[in-house]
Amino acid sequence: MNMAAKTAKQGRPGARRAAVDQDEEEQPLQAVLVADSFNRRFFPVTKDQPRALLPLANVAMIDYTLEFLTSTGVQETFVFCCWMSDKIKDHLAKSKWCRSNSSNTVHFITSDTYRSLGDVLRDVDAKALLRSDFILVYGDVVSSIDVTQALQEHRLRRKLEKNISDNIVVAVDSKSKRILHYQKTQGLKKLQFPMNIFHSTSDEFEIRHDLLDCHISICSPQVAELFTDNFDYQTRNDFVRGILVNEEILGNQIHLHVAKDGYGARVSNLFMYDAVSSDMIRRWIYPITPESNFVDEEGKSCTHSRHNVYRGTGVSLGHGSQMEENVLIGQDTSIGAKGHISNSVIGANCIIGDNVILDRAYIWNNVHIADNVAIRQSVVCDGVEVKTGVILKEQCVLAFNAVVGPDVTLPEGTVVSLHHPDEEEEEQDEFLSDHAEAGHNKATKKDKANNSKELGTEGQGYIWKSSSLDHTKEDELAQSLWGLVLNPDPESDSESEASEGSDQPGSRTISPELDDIKVFQTEVQGTLQRGLEENIGCDNLVLEINSLKYAYNITLKEVMQILTRVVLEYPFFQEGADLSTSQYNTLLLPLLKGWAPVFKNYVKRAQDHLNCLASIEEFFLEHEAHWGALVLMSAYNLDILEEDGIMRWFSQEGTTDKSKLLRKNQGLLKFIQWLEEAEEYSEGD
Amino acid sequence: MELQAVLMAAGGGSRMMELTYNTHKPLLPVGNKPLIWYPLNLLERVGFEEVIIITTKDVQKMLTPDRLKLDGKMKLDVVCIQLEGEMGTADALRHVQQKIKTDVLVLSCDLITDVALHEVVDLFRAHNASMAMLMSKLHEFTETVPGQKGKKKAGEQRDFVGVDATGQRLLFMANEADLEDGLTIRKSIMCKHPSMRIRTGLLDAHLYCLKRCVVDFLVENKNISSIRGELIPYLVRKQFSKSVNLPNNKDEVEMSQKMEGQTNLEILGSCKDEELLRLTQERSCWNDHHGDMSEAYHGGKVRCYVHIMEDGVCYRVNTLAAYIEANRMAPKLIEDPPIHPSAVISECTQVGADSIIGASCQISDKTSIKRSTVGASSTVREKVKITNSILMNGVTVEEGCNIQGSVICSNAVIGRNADIKYCLVGSSQRIEPDARHLDSNLSINDSALGSLKMSRDWPA
Repeated sequence: MNMAAKTAKQGRPGARRAAVDQDEEEQPLQAVLVADSFNRRFFPVTKDQPRALLPLANVAMIDYTLEFLTSTGVQETFVFCCWMSDKIKDHLAKSKWCRSNSSNTVHFITSDTYRSLGDVLRDVDAKALLRSDFILVYGDVVSSIDVTQALQEHRLRRKLEKNISDNIVVAVDSKSKRILHYQKTQGLKKLQFPMNIFHSTSDEFEIRHDLLDCHISICSPQVAELFTDNFDYQTRNDFVRGILVNEEILGNQIHLHVAKDGYGARVSNLFMYDAVSSDMIRRWIYPITPESNFVDEEGKSCTHSRHNVYRGTGVSLGHGSQMEENVLIGQDTSIGAKGHISNSVIGANCIIGDNVILDRAYIWNNVHIADNVAIRQSVVCDGVEVKTGVILKEQCVLAFNAVVGPDVTLPEGTVVSLHHPDEEEEEQDEFLSDHAEAGHNKATKKDKANNSKELGTEGQGYIWKSSSLDHTKEDELAQSLWGLVLNPDPESDSESEASEGSDQPGSRTISPELDDIKVFQTEVQGTLQRGLEENIGCDNLVLEINSLKYAYNITLKEVMQILTRVVLEYPFFQEGADLSTSQYNTLLLPLLKGWAPVFKNYVKRAQDHLNCLASIEEFFLEHEAHWGALVLMSAYNLDILEEDGIMRWFSQEGTTDKSKLLRKNQGLLKFIQWLEEAEEYSEGD
Repeated sequence: MELQAVLMAAGGGSRMMELTYNTHKPLLPVGNKPLIWYPLNLLERVGFEEVIIITTKDVQKMLTPDRLKLDGKMKLDVVCIQLEGEMGTADALRHVQQKIKTDVLVLSCDLITDVALHEVVDLFRAHNASMAMLMSKLHEFTETVPGQKGKKKAGEQRDFVGVDATGQRLLFMANEADLEDGLTIRKSIMCKHPSMRIRTGLLDAHLYCLKRCVVDFLVENKNISSIRGELIPYLVRKQFSKSVNLPNNKDEVEMSQKMEGQTNLEILGSCKDEELLRLTQERSCWNDHHGDMSEAYHGGKVRCYVHIMEDGVCYRVNTLAAYIEANRMAPKLIEDPPIHPSAVISECTQVGADSIIGASCQISDKTSIKRSTVGASSTVREKVKITNSILMNGVTVEEGCNIQGSVICSNAVIGRNADIKYCLVGSSQRIEPDARHLDSNLSINDSALGSLKMSRDWPA
């Protein structure tokens, strides 16, 4: 993951119109900072604090972004906030960015109606805020890349560039650095490139699979207009795709700048949070380091000592506690004796007890951790209380003010929040922006079991569980807070670069066809049940089944098989699985009688009879105990099945022992004999 | 001996029938040397002492050492094959497999290049590659091609060649014609080689280093008949296919060998003499890539490399245009004096430094020859102007002719005061005195070359 983050790069989108050349060099450089992610990857943490304010190495992420912009020479920044805009405003108002001597003027624009990046840019266009090229970033970008060179290139070119992310394959014209094609590769085994992108004059193309999109875009003013013109552009991906598809018609181009050094990354999920935090402490983002204290805030200063251990002022360490390496401790935090801390960040004003083991733990401010606690690769938010003897396995998240313990072990991936998981459903409309997209994206459900079992006797909060990841939006894959577990691509042997992004859909659904049949079966069952309860006529039932047949694209043969199966299973469905044979038969016979017209509708030709019998056989092979000639006999009596069909079925020797056994059933033999006699009798007649 | 050279000289030159219908392609004069001299010279320069030449009976008769003008150190082992049309290059290689004891360097007789051959061979050695090949940037032919005015050459299908970030590992190869549905690359290749350059506009020099086991593989698989068309794409693809699980029992081995012979390559790739090399690779900390922890070459047994010449001369003389271009470049590649000592040249004659005059030529007074090649035993009379032209052997040019941008084949006679511009004059043809021709094809059997344009008189 380190590798991926280090090969940072950035680019710029924009649109080229007829060569406009004014004295734009003199215009102040402007930036648009979108302080909202428009997704809920960090939910439920972001319920209490917007993502831009989440602390990364004890500094709010938006501060890194602003620092990056300011060092690039941006003189005017428009911060667009939506979710919890007041908090962001308060934070920035207190920071150095809003002081009068700041070289970067920060304006706030808030609106509750932004639901996507597209909305923001359309608003930018409507308000006509921008006069020249601008830099577009999110509020969670951490970067030390010098984009001035890219800016220069951009101005020279007066064309546009765009970045690409890891997980995205790009075809680049290597001479002009123009992006010709890009796509995400998740779940794809083969990469297709349409031929038309190779028709340009260049004879060299580059396909990159090793780039990380750091979401820094340099845009021409026309970009905002383009968003206005194309009201269906929601995200940057929409935009990039739209530009590339229409490139020949509209003449807009996107270019790419691959930064060979420097650091840039967007904290888009907790894996990235983990990665960027540890890179920060390991000083990969130099000159941005924890002790550089660029935010210029009271009490944020800390000292740097060997093995990348940083200590704020007023830190007290108990006797015998070890800080192995890569540890950052905020001011006025006290740590008890015999602790063992490595690769962790601890915020300000925390109280940590004795014998505590922290590894890759991210402890925010005002956290109380009692004795004998072990935390591994987890995030503990502000105000959390962890009682004695608690063990947090990998990838746990304790959201704001939760209480856990004592003496419990939280399994991997547990998310605890004071908010009830069901709240969101009702309040969904109120949560715009950060919350707007999700809802169905991540179905979370409350664990109905007693929380005290899992959270300990004094525990407070609810356990969030993300259920199936079925609904995937085109761009934003549903994923848990930590992203998904990294399953190595089954086809490829190993790839490290896939690490942080890897949002491969974890559970593959079975083939859709099978699925349809299953759904169809439940639908048929439901229809029949309703028919029984509401006394619906058989004609109508047939109509309904037929429409279902078309809806799920089921063949006639399958309809009959499924219908047979559903009817035969129906007694079990009604009364549970443990029925005696006689009970089963008494339940089944009236059903058969009632639905005989439905059957007759589907069982017409000789082949249908055989198919129907095969289905019956198949069912009774699974439920041998209930086998009896009675079913066949009543079917015969009800004219569902014909004599010829039954005789032919009987004469087909069973292929397996079981089905042979089935044919030797006493009752069946009698029935067959009776049929034969009847036949002779009728012939003799 | 590390490498055996195999020179493929049986091709008919079907793409330039104008020239080859009475001269065999390997013997076409380029800069007054037969075409085959160039690849032989290339081999000689780097120290090959033996070459296996695969050619036809007719050519064999003509291949005498003095004709080839080699220093005589090279031992030529000429092997004849018949039915040139039906035999592909791979078939030819199979034909000489008895003689092949080591890895082979296969090249074509129409290659004219000044490449430093060791670059290709070093790639082959350094990576213990299955195959290493040579490519060059495609040259645009600037000269006017005689007899083809107005005939826009149908745009040739481009080759798409994918190389890794170092520009040496050959990852992908396809012809535009096969890519109608778009270019498809497996993700696993991208994961192993995250930065791939797709290049077009490259010329395949038809020079290949092949491992001994590839030749064995060819012997086993008789259905592969062309090296360039079938074997090379197969090897390139094979680099990334999953190593076939070794079949469990003998039957399966035989079966799969019969079926496709794929496992052959796999088995041979790990054949016994590789044992030491494998051990070396295992014990070495060297790796061909970084970024993941997998072993060098990701454990692939088949590896293909390509050396791409960014500059320098590299032509394949397989079209008329390439032939003219090669003649233009020839003086730079030949170290011999441009004017043969036995040529008789009058004093009042201008012969440009970029021209070549062959042996026993007679050049008379007041003649000017610029940027041209005059073949052996040719006679040029007074007041003749020859520019940008190629005169093959035994051509006679009478007084007062003006020849520009043309190709005159062997033993042709140009009548006096003829004016020939951008024409192709067939061998033993006689051009009437005072004839004027522009942009024509003046060959003997036009009907045989139906596709070529009939001659057209120069308007007076």
